[in-house]
Amino acid sequence: MKNRFIILFVFLVASQLFSQEKYLTKEGYISFFSHSLAEDIKADNYQVLSIIDKKTGEIAIQLLMKSFMFKKALMQQHFNQSYVESYKYPKAIFKGFIIKFNELESQSSTVEIKGILSIHGKEKEISTQAKIEVLKDQINLSGNFMVEVADFDINIPVVVRNNIAKTIKITFDLQHNPFK
Amino acid sequence: MDIKNSNPKFMVTAQQIFKDFEKDERLANKKYVDNLIQINGIIGHISYENGMSIIALKGDNDISSIICQMLPEANSNVLKLKKGEQIMVKGICTGYLLDVMMVRCLITNDNFNEK
Repeated sequence: MKNRFIILFVFLVASQLFSQEKYLTKEGYISFFSHSLAEDIKADNYQVLSIIDKKTGEIAIQLLMKSFMFKKALMQQHFNQSYVESYKYPKAIFKGFIIKFNELESQSSTVEIKGILSIHGKEKEISTQAKIEVLKDQINLSGNFMVEVADFDINIPVVVRNNIAKTIKITFDLQHNPFK
Repeated sequence: MDIKNSNPKFMVTAQQIFKDFEKDERLANKKYVDNLIQINGIIGHISYENGMSIIALKGDNDISSIICQMLPEANSNVLKLKKGEQIMVKGICTGYLLDVMMVRCLITNDNFNEK
């Protein structure tokens, strides 16, 4: 666990040294959505940190679980305290690659992103399609993918099990600018 | 929590809270996260997205800052602010990435009505 943070830290520090190749956002958007017959639950996070290395297509994303905003304060409290245990695992981290990033031929296209998603201290390999836009001073990534709650060892109490989907939809919209 | 009518648990400068997180993130998490914090700092930049305003207060260096996601009711006051101005922001701390993150923030300067 600690090693991973050190690796990420080194990656971030390295980003600062070779800034012209790195694109970054600190105000990216990620939401999750759970649909069940009982209720729909959505939470939004507008404080996502994402860094793309334009040279290699490497991407690193970090967010704070506590920055997910719910409609109902009580839901947010249950989410942080009981389900994802934010006091123990404050961050979700994704580290991976935009496949064939340097072979993109048009400004706007679809790419595959592959990497490791870490939530609640558990790692899971993720692969998803994303819409990408590469402009002069901007790289935009958007899309969505599904994750299984069970893959991340998140325990949902029996009493609310019908209210929370087994599969959660994650939506992302990340607009990166050159790292100055 | 009623942000407007609650008293902050800690009152700090932007530099101080940033330093605390940089020095020992775990300890700073324990102290600040989930608590109502009032921060005094200089506006680095202001942005608007999805009807929401975000104020970044200058931290200790050029890269890192205190990113404050404002409550919608703060919008009219945020519009009056400019980069470089010194302000006081009150909100809930959610932790630290490259920056210290704050949500549900209000401006608490004396010349505003929100106090």
